Amino acid sequence: MKLICTEVNFKKAIFNCERVVSKKNTLPILNNILFETEKGGLKLSATNLEIGVSSKIGAKIEKEGRITIPAKLISNFSANLPSGENISLELVDNNLKIKSGINKAIIKGISAEDFPLLPLRKTEYLLDLSSLELKTAILKVMPAVAFNESRQELTGINLILKEKELIFAATDSFRLSECQIKIEEININKETYKLFIEKNENVIIPANVLGELNRMLAPDIDNRVKITIEEGQIFFEIDGIKLVSRLINGKYPEYKHIMPAEYKTRIVGEKQVLQNAIKMASVFSAGGSNEITLKISQEEEKIFILSSSAEVGENSAELKFDITGPSQEVVFNAKYLLDGINATTTSQVAILLNSEATPVAVREINEKSGEVLDNFTYIVMPIKN
Amino acid sequence: MTNEELWQTALGEIELSISKANFITWFKNTSILSLKDGHVVIGVPNGFAKEWLENKYDLYILRALKNIQGDIKSVSCLISSGPTQSFPQTNKEITVDAVQAPKKSPVFYEKKPPISQESNLNQKYTFENFVIGGSNELARAACYAVSKSLGNVYNPLFIYGGVGLGKTHLIQSIGNEALKINPQTRIKYISSERFTSDLIDSIKTQKIQEFKEYYQKIDLLIIDDIQFISGKEKTQEEFFHIFNYLYQLNKQIVLSSDRAPKAIQILEERLRSRFEGGMIADVSKPDLETRLAILKIKALQNGVEITEEALEFIATNIKNNIRELEGALNRVSVSAQLTKKSLDSAYTKQILSDIISSGKKKGINHKHIIKTVSDFYEISPADLVAKNRKQEVVKPRQIAMFLMRSELSYSYPGIGDKLGGRDHTTAMHAYEKISKEIKLDERLDEEITHLRDILYTIN
Repeated sequence: MKLICTEVNFKKAIFNCERVVSKKNTLPILNNILFETEKGGLKLSATNLEIGVSSKIGAKIEKEGRITIPAKLISNFSANLPSGENISLELVDNNLKIKSGINKAIIKGISAEDFPLLPLRKTEYLLDLSSLELKTAILKVMPAVAFNESRQELTGINLILKEKELIFAATDSFRLSECQIKIEEININKETYKLFIEKNENVIIPANVLGELNRMLAPDIDNRVKITIEEGQIFFEIDGIKLVSRLINGKYPEYKHIMPAEYKTRIVGEKQVLQNAIKMASVFSAGGSNEITLKISQEEEKIFILSSSAEVGENSAELKFDITGPSQEVVFNAKYLLDGINATTTSQVAILLNSEATPVAVREINEKSGEVLDNFTYIVMPIKN
Repeated sequence: MTNEELWQTALGEIELSISKANFITWFKNTSILSLKDGHVVIGVPNGFAKEWLENKYDLYILRALKNIQGDIKSVSCLISSGPTQSFPQTNKEITVDAVQAPKKSPVFYEKKPPISQESNLNQKYTFENFVIGGSNELARAACYAVSKSLGNVYNPLFIYGGVGLGKTHLIQSIGNEALKINPQTRIKYISSERFTSDLIDSIKTQKIQEFKEYYQKIDLLIIDDIQFISGKEKTQEEFFHIFNYLYQLNKQIVLSSDRAPKAIQILEERLRSRFEGGMIADVSKPDLETRLAILKIKALQNGVEITEEALEFIATNIKNNIRELEGALNRVSVSAQLTKKSLDSAYTKQILSDIISSGKKKGINHKHIIKTVSDFYEISPADLVAKNRKQEVVKPRQIAMFLMRSELSYSYPGIGDKLGGRDHTTAMHAYEKISKEIKLDERLDEEITHLRDILYTIN
């Protein structure tokens, strides 16, 4: 193997691969990143046998070849590379010689012979959507994913493929976040999609693979992400990067019946103001459940965010919000409520509620028309008194 | 033959032909899903295993299966969680709500260990749950008798024995039993190390009188690991006075140690003679039956479902220490819970393989010893074997002979033979000389220990 590539590409490929490499492996080779030349480019691959990633970059190939290199070492090495210098790689026996500007390194590798084969998709892609849109959806549902592994299905994100929309949902059984993307905004492989959703419209994607994907998607560049789903696996392809993961087996809990069809009371106001008030209240909130009270007073046309604890003291904030519907007083876990408000991307948010013991929703507000948007819903259960 | 048996047999064969790490990585949680017309479908947990099994290990698998059942022609893989589903699907009927109300301020009660403050006794140690065997019969009987009649039968009672054989359990049982009979009994269980530090504190804060008075009010004083007061003169002195005082009043004293009073170094003669004045009982290593009985009780207590053979396997292989025995049982039960496997002897063997094999002499022969010794003393292996009596070679040669005898149990003529055809008397002399010198020369002792370490880490 002998080739030259740019420093920017090299760093990007390593950045994409290194995180997938896990530390607790039985097979030593899984601590390594596979370097191989492929069709006029350099391809880096890494896997922990749950997620696999490969990232292909442009390079001037002089001689073909493949080798695996310890991920930690190469990532530390690349992090310290000066910018703007081209990088030349040459494989001599099992040693990778790297030259970049004033730096010369020889890294001892392990033969690529035993590196796992990354599964490849066998069918055509199913969905083709904007990376920014996908990123937004991931970020909106991610806070509600359960960390606890006792219910494995809750550690993933539920993707429901409907005729008219894609639904991403996550819950840790205390709150639920749901985000929809209209099918019109996505290129779908019409034939395949129709066949697919007849068989199976509901898959659970491990949250960590979507976390990885989110990290790889730049926040300011819109790319196309192609998604393929095959027996127990999901494939993502973005601009030279391929990501594959297992799907979580199991049945995602039914949650539709929990979301109220209509709400009696609605408050609308500045997101920033609300966030600050909740953060402040949680400083004073009592106990492990981080309790705060949201009091909506129709008569005074104000809302109050209150908290108190016997040991610390108390705090209240008075906010001017638009109120429709009757007065309410509800107790929340401040963190759960705040997570939902943080997940919104608009400058104004709405909180919708029925009573102190029924699910409460957080939604976004259209900046221009002031309408409540219904493609994102964050449900949080109040604390029972 | 069921599919499961077929697969287990095949795995046994495959395991031999590939490395352990590879085997565990790729064949964990696999199973045969179907066998039809000579075509086998193997269920694998993920796509990576599918690719690898289909492309790299297909021949191994096919060969192994063919050896067992000749009519198998082809193999393919399917991703499935298989029978070893990572979570039970039984909750399908009981629809779990996606979202539920969080509980109001969960009040965390700190779980108090059942230790009564005053006496320091842990209530889990009782005579009822102590397993009696030949090795601890006497000690147990003595303790039991003492608990029934404090201060009257054996005073002081001295229990000694190796690590993890149940000394603490026995002596704490005395306390718990005595409390059961008369809850008013003033009991103090304390380790000698704690006793020392309390004493030092009391000296520091000038409350030594209170310290003494406190101990003089006690009806039953239990001191664990008394050997640690060896060399601490002031502690010994104070302890001597407390001991005498309590003894005069016919208050019961129970002591435990890891060796007999005679063998405790730097112990004042007057204390030693007092320790020996009462009853001395030892707890030795449990025999197989006792170990098995202990395991059964532990398995029952912890609700571990485990086959008889697996228990026997653990009991036969872990001999020295009851704590290790419990540890091994915990280890297999936890890992079986995680992998959802049933606990049979094969699984137990697999889980415990690294614990059991460690420290055993595996595949070491005289060549390793010659190499290790010559490397260590920086001489050539040829010199070690050669016929000369250069000063710098003689000692390493004797050490090599010593190690061959002590570690490999070679015969003396055999040792002489391996080291350049020497006479067996030379080997005998070397062994005796080094054995003697080890006791006198600390440096030599260290060197030999170090050599042993190197020897066993080679493989």
